Amino acid sequence: MLNEPFMQRALLAALFLGPLCALLGVFVTARRMAFFSDTISHGALTGVALGFWFGMADPTLPLIVFSLLIAGAIVWLRERTELVTDTIMALLLSGSVAVGMIILSLLKRRPGDIHGFLFGDILAIGRQEVWLGAALFAGVGVGIFLWLNDLSLITVQEEMAHVCGVPVLRMNFIFVIVLTLAVAVTIRMLGIILVTSLIVIPPATARSLSRNLRQQIILSLAVGLIGAVSGMLLSYPLNVPCGPMIVVTCIALFILSLVIRAFRRNLRIPSPA
Amino acid sequence: MHHCPEHQGPSVVETRNLRVSLGGREVLQGVNFTVPKGQVVALIGPNGSGKTTLLRCLLGLQKPSAGEVWLFGQTDISAALPRIGYVPQRLDVERSFALSVREFLALRTAGARNWFFHSNKTNDQIIGASLTEIGVVELLDRPLAHLSGGQLQRVLIAFSLLRNPELLLLDEPTAGVDTPGEQTFYDLIADVQRRLKLTVVLVSHDLSMVFRHASWVYALNGVICCEGHPEHVMNAESLKQAYGIHVSPYHHHHHH
Repeated sequence: MLNEPFMQRALLAALFLGPLCALLGVFVTARRMAFFSDTISHGALTGVALGFWFGMADPTLPLIVFSLLIAGAIVWLRERTELVTDTIMALLLSGSVAVGMIILSLLKRRPGDIHGFLFGDILAIGRQEVWLGAALFAGVGVGIFLWLNDLSLITVQEEMAHVCGVPVLRMNFIFVIVLTLAVAVTIRMLGIILVTSLIVIPPATARSLSRNLRQQIILSLAVGLIGAVSGMLLSYPLNVPCGPMIVVTCIALFILSLVIRAFRRNLRIPSPA
Repeated sequence: MHHCPEHQGPSVVETRNLRVSLGGREVLQGVNFTVPKGQVVALIGPNGSGKTTLLRCLLGLQKPSAGEVWLFGQTDISAALPRIGYVPQRLDVERSFALSVREFLALRTAGARNWFFHSNKTNDQIIGASLTEIGVVELLDRPLAHLSGGQLQRVLIAFSLLRNPELLLLDEPTAGVDTPGEQTFYDLIADVQRRLKLTVVLVSHDLSMVFRHASWVYALNGVICCEGHPEHVMNAESLKQAYGIHVSPYHHHHHH
């Protein structure tokens, strides 16, 4: 199975994208941005549909462009209207899914792999995804550790970060762009519907076992890596889509973390309150 | 008799005819606010009176539509920020964020960029000492998100003092603290202020505590409607108008 080139590509992608999402996820969840990531990924459906409409075999480019547009629309509407962010995101999420589905249903020839975009597809992971994943992971890894202090301060409170000399606006802008790109690239592996799970479950799993941010980041990276790679490995022999398999593996790790936490408490080993 | 605080020494904070409009409403309508060095100045006013907006102007978070902000004798706010310690109104740290008190303080300690990879003895000593000073050293390894209101305020004070600021800005610092906790908190501020010879600006809508600890009080309601020593301001007609009829320094007032 590991001799198949598509499987090698898929494993490499899992190796980069799992930890990438898990690392970003620590800050995404702490900043209450999980729904933001969900909105961006659902917005990608319109991008995919437009790509097919224009006859593109690989709609990765319109997918990324449309995800960025949705992210921009969220920020713009939040600044310019009285609406709360939740409402804006729910509106954009359902709107872009609706538009995407309408475009898809108007296509003369139905694209066969829309299912793959919704739930992830091993075969769809090309060299492009592997390279993008590797580059993003390297960039985010270096960036987060260089600006860990600034990012942590912003996560605690933006005004305080500003007083401490952190360029809050610029950091937030970069964070949103990077998150959007990570979501867009990971969609091929996990699918539009499930991609946020790889951002939310690893930091949540890590949280129940960690007493500080250092432990949470390391454990989250580990859960993202193990969940993505083993989910990918299991999906092929079981003949199930890789997206749901990765999510189920991550959730199994999450349940395991709860069990370990309960054991620790019973043994009175100090654990996070 | 009271005398104007400008005459007591150089001013650390000064605003000149400061105006801010938010959503079509002029929140600050020409505010002249002066804080002399080494004083504890209280800025009071009912909710919506522009206290937070004025504070945001001082920190460079809000651009005034007219007027000037002078900090330490200059108008460049970002250059003044390193000399300022700021304690925000409330900190709403998400429980899913595991940042510990030790790590939180390390974010502000000089030369602590690499706290993630290896622990730093000097750093740990600075952090331990700062928490001991504030009386909460036992919180060192607790996650920030698990602290009570009072504990969090103390940790925030320790954080704000780490880079030896000259000016401490406190925005409704006891919003999430119970009344006995409030008393000890203000005692702590008074103690720190005396020891480190800080200039302190206390922003609050809660009159009673502020009156016991401030040396000078500004009452804000769009403009500075009165200023002076606490007992003077307390009896001023304009304050009674801003706050409603009965104001007493000896009772706890809530204004929603």
